[in-house]
Amino acid sequence: MSKHPVVQWIDRRFPFTAFFKHELTEYKVPRNLSYWWNFGFLAGFVLVLQVVSGVFLAMHYKPDAQLAFASIEHIMRDVNYGWLLRYMHSTGASAFFVVIYIHMARTLYYGSFRAPRELMWWSGQVLLLTLMATAFMGYLLPWGQMSYWGAQVITNLFRATPFIGDQVVVWLRGDFVVGDATLNRFFVLHFFFPFLIFGIVGLHLVALHFVRSSNPSGINLKDEDNISLHPYFTFKDLFGLGIFLLIFCGFVFFYPDFFIEPDNNIPADPLKTPPHITPEWYFLPFYAILRAIPDMLGGVVAMTLSILVFAAMPYLDRSQIPGGSRYRPFYRAMFWAFVVDLSVLTYVGAQPATDEMALVGRIATIIYFSLFMVLPIISKREEAWLFVRGLPQEVMAMIAGEKESDRRKRSMDRRKTERRQGEE
Amino acid sequence: MKKIISLTGGLLISLTALASETPPLLDVELQHDTATLRQGADVVLNVCAGCHSLHYLKYRDLLEVGFTQAEVDGLRGQLEVTATIAAMSPPDMLKETYGVVPPDLSLIAKARKGGGRYVYTLFNSFYQRPDGTVDNHLFPNIRMPDVLGVASMTDPAQKKEFQESMRKVAAFLEWAADPNAAERRGMGVYVLIYLFIITLLFWLMKRRIWSDVH
Repeated sequence: MSKHPVVQWIDRRFPFTAFFKHELTEYKVPRNLSYWWNFGFLAGFVLVLQVVSGVFLAMHYKPDAQLAFASIEHIMRDVNYGWLLRYMHSTGASAFFVVIYIHMARTLYYGSFRAPRELMWWSGQVLLLTLMATAFMGYLLPWGQMSYWGAQVITNLFRATPFIGDQVVVWLRGDFVVGDATLNRFFVLHFFFPFLIFGIVGLHLVALHFVRSSNPSGINLKDEDNISLHPYFTFKDLFGLGIFLLIFCGFVFFYPDFFIEPDNNIPADPLKTPPHITPEWYFLPFYAILRAIPDMLGGVVAMTLSILVFAAMPYLDRSQIPGGSRYRPFYRAMFWAFVVDLSVLTYVGAQPATDEMALVGRIATIIYFSLFMVLPIISKREEAWLFVRGLPQEVMAMIAGEKESDRRKRSMDRRKTERRQGEE
Repeated sequence: MKKIISLTGGLLISLTALASETPPLLDVELQHDTATLRQGADVVLNVCAGCHSLHYLKYRDLLEVGFTQAEVDGLRGQLEVTATIAAMSPPDMLKETYGVVPPDLSLIAKARKGGGRYVYTLFNSFYQRPDGTVDNHLFPNIRMPDVLGVASMTDPAQKKEFQESMRKVAAFLEWAADPNAAERRGMGVYVLIYLFIITLLFWLMKRRIWSDVH
């Protein structure tokens, strides 16, 4: 194929065509990926959607405690299609978490976090934390009652920091209470964090294109079973995007207030605490864990651990059997138990703190951490049981192949060191 | 096992307790045609605006619900068309009378669960205690007086007329909280039709591209 002279000119100075070839038309993807593998692309799409709508919102928004609430109403009423920008952005925040949580659930279900994809899992974990911080700071910006009191409660948690708790809270807020200084800095950081997210997404993708996609079988497929990203998966992703947008736009145009608490349509009032402060739905399970521990420091530690514990998954899951839940009935049962437990925690997090709710929350919190704690034992036992019971041939071959390549590599390393020692 | 039983029992009790805390909102169909909104606006501007402001609504916005330019000019007097609608009584005086400044109404339909239905139910929930004082089922110890005297209303025809009027007020307040709702829904239909077609095309293309793989 003859190339356009401009492309030729660029190609002599920059790997333009080579890049698209390497990352798109000749980048190989397992052909058996299910639609659960669409969500990484969707997360990237929502990120761009949030940045674009956010930049335009920032052109009309005023990060000032006196003006913020009214500036949102100005966007909603006076700015041409401002309501569309604002509803896309507010619905987009929830959509982002829906997509990311499904993306993570897929990774957990199919064991995609295992070697050699640990760095993908960890960069994803950092992305989740950055996303949570960005969403939390963005939620303050409308300066409604829930915005204000949510920020008040959450920043107050940092008081649990040993020795310097009080100073940390003041440092975060820029004032002794959440106020104008807090709003201004949260706006700056809410604008800045997406740059970090873009950077980490870059790392996430470089790692992905190096280790390649996992697939539902958990087994590395033969070369002929890998097909190019473009056009096969680009069009599969576009179809998935169409379905996503149908649901997303259904909310934006017909139920835009579904994700906005009624209380947040009342301007922030530092003198009037709403009877029932709840965080956004995507924080509810972690909020429930926070409240399950009677001690504040203990609660903060448990809440932090409940998110960070995911990073340990590559070490907690000690089974050699590939494919995550696919061949492993016990792991599969634990996965679904986790999903149910998370739903219970979400429900508890949204309820007023009564004694019964605290008890349910505590039981669910114990189950949450127990599932991670028993995983090393169960995964090892399950492996032994499955070896006795018999696994599909290709899975056995895969495990044997992995061991074989491992041995070969080790003996090669040994020979290399011996040679080097001989030379000395 | 005992624990589970007591736990589910406790849950049920707490759920029923939650349910009995606030009475259910009345089921009411709200129309948002210009004539209804206009009539609702008349009540809101002549009665409610005595004490309540509508700070996010400008006089000029009233043109959208059927007011003529002359009517708007009459309402605003010396104020600009872009001035926001303030309460007729000064807030300080209201605070002295009621203990609080009455809430702004321009976002009230969004700030309460149930929106217009909440507003409608609130008006229908005034009742007379045996000692003759008036209270509200939906909002106990409400400071707003029963302006329209619904608690002592006995004539069914009069009551019906009152409810009809409140339906329009609720509809107007829903519009005031979200004036672009009609435009949004209208546009949404076309967006969904477009997305449906393009998704179908993507699906057909995907099937065609993948036909040599399966």
